Amino acid sequence: MTAAALARGPTDWLRTAVPPLLIFVLALAAWEGAVRGFGIPLYLLPAPSGILETFFERPDYLLRIGLSTFSNALLGCLVGCTLGVLVAALCVRWPIVADGLIPLSVAASAVPIIALSPLMGIWLGSVSAASKIGVVAVMTFFPTLINVFRGLMTPRPEEIALLRSYAAPEIDIFRKLRAPAALPFLFNALRICTTLSMIGAVVAEFFGGPQNSLGVYIKSQAGILRTQEAWSAIIVACLLGLAFYLSVLLLERLVMPWRRGRR
Amino acid sequence: MNDTIITFDRVSKIYPSGGGPVTALSDVSLHITAGEFIALIGPSGCGKSTLMRLIGDLEQPSSGALAVCGKSAAQARRDRDYGIVFQSPVLYDWRTISKNVELPLEIMGHATAERTARARDLLKLVGLQDFGDAYPHQLSGGMQQRAAIARALSFAPKVLLMDEPFGALDEITRERLQIELLNIWSTSEPRSTVIFVTHSIPEAVFLADRVVVMSPRPGRIDQIIPIDLPRPRTFATREAAAFFALATQVRAALRHTEGE
Repeated sequence: MTAAALARGPTDWLRTAVPPLLIFVLALAAWEGAVRGFGIPLYLLPAPSGILETFFERPDYLLRIGLSTFSNALLGCLVGCTLGVLVAALCVRWPIVADGLIPLSVAASAVPIIALSPLMGIWLGSVSAASKIGVVAVMTFFPTLINVFRGLMTPRPEEIALLRSYAAPEIDIFRKLRAPAALPFLFNALRICTTLSMIGAVVAEFFGGPQNSLGVYIKSQAGILRTQEAWSAIIVACLLGLAFYLSVLLLERLVMPWRRGRR
Repeated sequence: MNDTIITFDRVSKIYPSGGGPVTALSDVSLHITAGEFIALIGPSGCGKSTLMRLIGDLEQPSSGALAVCGKSAAQARRDRDYGIVFQSPVLYDWRTISKNVELPLEIMGHATAERTARARDLLKLVGLQDFGDAYPHQLSGGMQQRAAIARALSFAPKVLLMDEPFGALDEITRERLQIELLNIWSTSEPRSTVIFVTHSIPEAVFLADRVVVMSPRPGRIDQIIPIDLPRPRTFATREAAAFFALATQVRAALRHTEGE
């Protein structure tokens, strides 16, 4: 059964990968065609070929500023998610904390936390990495807390009764049951957080940041209508965001082998 | 072999509820001998699952005395005297079948080598020796329940509590597992005491040494019917005249609980 699933793997992968790739290429072609065909001016919308050309003029610089922004996203995400997991665990241990905190967190995750960016700038220094990391940490904290708490609470009464029948201490109920049961929820949260943290890191830089960062570069280049430069930086942001997302997916497959052959 | 292992002495269980207290069990007295196979049968709400859960210390009596292995149910639980099998297999998704069977031994701190060896033996016993590395979702319902039984047996508990373990299975699988269960139980040494909750009359008669017929509102023991069918019981047992006579007797007792 498992061997068959493995053998089927690669062709399945092709079948899921080819259609979106095809659409992507078609969309790029339509974009290119529209820009050339309608003679859209450069400052409004550059053609993909032009953007690519600009990118390859100095890819190392773009990647370097990309990585400086990405490191803020990654650090902020690590801080936010770690705190989220810790507080979720506390919520399980002391339900009274959960009663107060979880509804508030649900409300907080509906708030556009990115709007905090200018204030984070005041608190932690508008050019500093700390203010960017802070924004990302706050943005990723709430979804992680909510999802992981939900995951930790999923075990059914019977699943808990089983461990109690072995006289298992609370710590074992957490380690052997709640924590693994929460893993799929944690990874759901992490997937959301990868996107959130890239958005947070780039947008926070719009409100001020070091010269060599994606957000500042995009904003300054767009400000002087150098749209090809701005777009090439956006592409870097997309690629890094995608790479981040895919590495979380990969980690998910490694950590949860039992979910593989399953939809 | 004639030692009493479980004693209920005028035990009641009352649940508080919005519409006033509900008596789940009223004044139950029962003696169960070590190594005995007891079937609890009765309509919904007769308290048969509650009775089982009291033995397992998953709930506590409101009044009366309950002793298991000469001590309180809580102490017996702490001493790991019970294995439990629920209606659903309750296997953990993230563990292979073998790791699921090892779970109790892991909690109890047995060495890894001993755990894997024990799991291998038990999986062989329940016919799952080729599925140790599979995950639960890759197995059928009947195979999952077999794994759950293997897990309950892994630490050779004195008392095996089974709450409608075959209730969700098809009839064919069910009858086969009944025979397998009896084989495992009768060959284990020392023989576990089994408390088996069921809705099925043929199942109760086929498996048990004594069938405890319970009646609802409030839950109490109505009759205890000894089943003197010879062991080992086989597929032929189900076709014997004595089997039908006993099933009829249990059925009559159940009808009596409905107040007819």
